[in-house]
Order: sequence, then C-alpha cells, then structure tokens
Amino acid sequence: MNRNNKSRREFIRDLSYLTAGTVLGSALSGERTLSAASVSASTSSSTVVLTRDPSVRGSNGELRSEIVSHLIHEVVKEVTGVGSAKDAWSSLFSPEDVVGLKINCLAGRRLSTRPEVVDAVIKGLKMAGVPDEQIVVWDRTNKDLIKGGYSIHTRKSGIKCFGTDALSQGYEREPQVFGSVGSCFSRILTEYCTAMINLPILKDHDLAGVTLGMKNFYGVIHNPNKYHDHNCNPYVADLFSSPLIQGKLRLTLLDATTGVYEGGPSYKPQWAWHFNGILGARDTVALDRMGCRIIEEKRSFMGLPSLIEAKRDPVYIHTAAQLGLGQDDPGSIRLHKI
Amino acid sequence: MKDRVSRRRFLKGTGGAICTIGSFLPAYSGAQAASLQFAPMDSGENLYEAKFYDKLENLRIRCQLCPRKCEVADQERGYCGVRENQKGVYYTLVHSRPCAVHVDPIEKKPLFHFHPGTRAFSMATAGCNVECKFCQNWDISQFRPEDLKNLNLSPEEAVRQSKKQGCLSMAYTYSEPVVFYEYMFDCAVAGNKEGLHSVMISNGYIQEKPLLALLPHLSAVKIDLKAFTEKFYKETCFGELKSVLETLTRLKKSGIWFEIVVLVIPTLNDSEKEITAMCRWIKADLGGDVPIHFSRFHPTYKLKNLPITPVPTLEMARRVALQSGLPFAYIGNVPGHPGNNTYCPGCGEIIIRRFGHRIIKMSIHDGRCAACSREIPGIWG
Repeated sequence: MNRNNKSRREFIRDLSYLTAGTVLGSALSGERTLSAASVSASTSSSTVVLTRDPSVRGSNGELRSEIVSHLIHEVVKEVTGVGSAKDAWSSLFSPEDVVGLKINCLAGRRLSTRPEVVDAVIKGLKMAGVPDEQIVVWDRTNKDLIKGGYSIHTRKSGIKCFGTDALSQGYEREPQVFGSVGSCFSRILTEYCTAMINLPILKDHDLAGVTLGMKNFYGVIHNPNKYHDHNCNPYVADLFSSPLIQGKLRLTLLDATTGVYEGGPSYKPQWAWHFNGILGARDTVALDRMGCRIIEEKRSFMGLPSLIEAKRDPVYIHTAAQLGLGQDDPGSIRLHKI
Repeated sequence: MKDRVSRRRFLKGTGGAICTIGSFLPAYSGAQAASLQFAPMDSGENLYEAKFYDKLENLRIRCQLCPRKCEVADQERGYCGVRENQKGVYYTLVHSRPCAVHVDPIEKKPLFHFHPGTRAFSMATAGCNVECKFCQNWDISQFRPEDLKNLNLSPEEAVRQSKKQGCLSMAYTYSEPVVFYEYMFDCAVAGNKEGLHSVMISNGYIQEKPLLALLPHLSAVKIDLKAFTEKFYKETCFGELKSVLETLTRLKKSGIWFEIVVLVIPTLNDSEKEITAMCRWIKADLGGDVPIHFSRFHPTYKLKNLPITPVPTLEMARRVALQSGLPFAYIGNVPGHPGNNTYCPGCGEIIIRRFGHRIIKMSIHDGRCAACSREIPGIWG
C-alpha cells in the first residue's frame, strides 16, 4: 500500500465523517451527530481517530491490557483504512523495519505513556512481522524511562528499552538547523531506527500551552531547554519540520487514558482526569489540534480560563500547518470517533 | 572568547594528570544499529539546592541567578539545562560534577595582568545561560549534564588537585560558570582557605545579588563582551547586552581586577563604528586600565558560513582601543603577533613579551615598568 496516499476506500469513507469542529463537542460528551452540511470533501483534509471506553479501566482504576490493546488496534485500522489489525499494521511497517517507539516519561509513572499502550503497539508490530530485536522503546534518558515505569534493556536479543543517554555517543556530533531550531539529534532516531511511532500523552503545558504529538519530539534533541520562549513557537513546528523526523514518522498514537488539563507537564492530581481514550493519526498536526481542543473543552468545563486567556495559546500548531506539515483547521480535520 | 577545549582535546591535554578521566574516551565507533555501544549506567546525579530562586504557586519557581529569570514548572529545567525544579525546589544538577578539568596557563583564560606565567586549575560543567552561535565549547556548554561524562570532584578535592598541580588559582571557565554558580562559590571558598585564588571566566550574564555575593571570594574576572549592540546579543547569542554592561559596571565599582575579551566576527561585530563606541564606553565607564583582548574568530557550531577574522581587522580594533585611551589592548588567537605583548604606556617598551600563552620576557618589577617605573595596573604577585 502506498503509505503517503489515501486508499480509495479510506477516501470514500472519509466523506462520511463529520468535520471535527462539529463532532468534537459531541464526542467528548459521548454523543454523535451526523450532519451532511458538515461533511467536507476536501482532499487536503486529515483524519484523526478518537476512541474512548470507560471499560478500559478495571474496578481499581488500573488499565485493562486487553481493552487497551483492542482500542489501539481499532484506531490503527481506522487510521490506515485497512480492515484487519494485521493488515493495518502491515500497511505501516515491514519486517525489515527497525521501529522506535518514542514515549514520554517526563512526568513519572502516573502520567507517562502507559506500558499497556506500549505493549499493545508492540503486539501490532509483531503482527506486521517486526522481530523483537528491531523494536526499541525510548525517551531522552534512562532515568526518565525508569521513572515512567519501564525497565532498561540494552541486550542484543529481545525488545530494547533505553534512553539516548544510555549510548556512549547519544547525539549526532554536529547540530542540524531547521528554521529556528539548531540541534543535535538522538542517534536512536537518526541511525538506529528506520521507522518511528510517536506515543505522547494528553497534557497541558505551562509554557507551550499543550504538549502532545509534535512537542514530544523535544525529547529527541540535545537542547530542548533552549526552545521554550514564546510558547515554544515556532520552535515546536520548526523541529517537527525536520526531515529526520518527517522521513521516519509513520504514526502518532496519543495515550489519552489519563491527562492533565492544568499544571502540566508534570502530574498534578487535582487537575488530572481519566479520559480513557486513544487518539491516532498520520497527521500529527491535526492530532495536536484535536488534543488541544479536548484540553480546552475540559478546562472550560472545569471553569478554567482558555489557553489564550492563560497567555499560552499553542500557536505552534498553526505554525506547523503554515509550514505544510499538516492540517490545523478544525473545519478540515475529520474527527472519527469509534 | 571561551577557551576551546573539546572533551577529546581535554583528555589529550591532561596527559594523565587526572587519571580517572581516562575512562571517558568515547566507546562508540560505528554508525549502524548493530554497533551501538552503551555507556556504563551512571547514577551520578548530584542534587544541590540552588541559592537564588523564588517559589511560586503550583510548585513553579522563578530563577534569580541570571537576567533571564526563567519561570520553571515542576519537573522542568531552566534555559541553562542544568537546573531542575523538583516538586517546587530548584536544584543545580552539576555541583561537584565537572565535565572538563584541565591545567592551563592563566594567559589562556585570557588574563594578562593577573599573575602572569602561573597555572590555573580550570573547570567546567555542562550548560550555559546563552546560546552563542559561535560558541567554541558548544559540545559542553549546550548539552545537559546527563549527556556528558562527568567527574565526581568535590570542592575540597578540586582544591587538593589544584595544589598538587602547582596551580596558583582555580578558574571557572570553558562553558559558563554562572550556571554552576554554587559549585564555583564553594570551590572559591574552599580554595581561599588554602591560599588559592579563584577567577571567573564568564559572559557576565548574572544578576546583581548573586554577583555581589560571589565577588568577595574571587580574585579576578574575565568578561566576554560579545558585541556592542542589542541586535547582536539578541540574534546571535540569545542574550542581552544591557545586563552585561551592568555587570561590568558592578565589577568596576567593586574594585576587583577584570579584563574584557571581544571575539571579533567578520560582518557581525567588526565595524569600526561599533568598536569605537564600545571602546569609548569602556574608557568612560570602566576606565583606561581595563585590558581588552580582541580575539580571532574561527568558524564553528552554528556559524560556519563566515571566514576566520582577518588579522588587519583585529589590528584595526586594537588601534581604535589605543586611540580611545585603552593602552592595554591585545590581539588574541594570533600567536606571535606584536599585539600579544604588553607595552608600557609611559615609555612604550615591551614589558611582557608573549608567544601564544607563553611568557617570553617579563620586565615588571613590583608592579612597575622596569624601564621607566610607571605603575602598570594589574595583580602581579
């Protein structure tokens, strides 16, 4: 399957989806309303798949692996437009790929990409025939991974899990410049992996506004601390424009089982909530727009000021769209709720 | 200009003086996935509460060390990358964790009027509070500590090593010592007790309160004055000229010995007009005793599209300084150039002849020119 073009089946089905602006509110409230007027036939539109399921949690609030796995496979099927999970994963990855799962563990165990989500993704990769040895779960540092509930594995056999700092020479020796960003990239991205899956969290961010799909790539460069001025704009977008990322990113799956709508990026129990969802897209810009809307909706519901009012509007999402990296106009994003 | 000292050069240069560093040689030698090599697990985090910061609501803090005044959320770091907010307490991650240690001639800092011909035990940690596109030590200054190989070197051990190496001073240098302020402070205090001087080699991007708290423990300071326009500071360094000028003024007022270095970069800060304005300000606000070093730029880091500074440009800058009433104007990074020498403003004789960082001849006695007895400003020992 051509990974860069929509299949005929996907295109036709897309026509039946509501535009995101109409759907999101009802999606969040559990309703779904179809309106012919809101159907867009724009070929430049993007699809974001959202699934929510309260039964993803057991009676003690723990995630139920089998439900997480089911949700992930359903999202990937919808994102790819392929009818079976095996075919869906195989449409994205081949047995020759070395696949990096870029997770986000900054905030510790309670607000990191959940191991249950990672396990489900690994199952999908195995369906596509990717051997264990060619799967690496990674983030900036071993310390962050351990904080997030992961064990470090650097042995040759089996699935690997390590931070860039685990390598003797973790970053490229020379910086590469993309717009306002000049950074050395992790060699896990540039040299080790042939394909990437982006696995961010649903999080508010005190400076960027939100930290979702694109900002997760701050974890692949050596100097993310230099790029937090001006609500991280245009830095997040410029970084995401890097061919080093664009050339390898195949899929973004947002772990929205738990999120924070205020006080991020660290875990703040008073502002955390179980959204019990997964969002998936090939278009990370569109996914970020939808993730941002979810956070805005929650903030509004909880009586908090909007991100604009809080002076941390995530303008970088629009900047990314202007750079042609994806779609940020809610009217052109199809939010497909399953 | 900061002294160039990559980790590899540092390892070569130490020549086994500090044998523990030998194990830092990079193990990685290939480019393919199968050849990835892993570093030994390092749990060497050294949390030490920062001295200057305010606690804000919701576990946020505001750093009060440098003019950037970063507001940092829980679990996040400041712009420098070496200070982290952990549950509302701001920590430095680099206390006692230098990534570069070297014994240098004091002339390499450069400090030309401070105990010439002596050795300085020179240390740096990861991190910097600006990001100069021309940084010659970017491979340490622009990285976080966990991405570098760091020693465990307490202030007391640093003092012991300094004395063992026959150093007269300890220099905080290479990256930006303001970001390892607490370590520098403790080393300076420990060194003073043992008769060791401390010198700070800095960009001058520091707030007044921490600067004034530190100065009593220092013997000399070198400041990089990177240009004389806010435009340059903003676009090329992501910093602010005004704060650096304020630091220089505070140094003058404090009476500490200090020297200035200007890295002259073709097309960016090398106009005669800008250098004239800079020199006139120095003469008027800091006085004519301040040595000023015009150093040669070499393309590096994010500024590789410009040529090496032509020597005539450096000579023009030195001439402008001399004409502005700054008799101790030097040319740096051009070994053997007459502008490396110190000339007596009274009789014109060479009173210190240098080649590179070496002293060839010194004709100063009791702080005076050996030929005409004119007093020469500086700390001569």
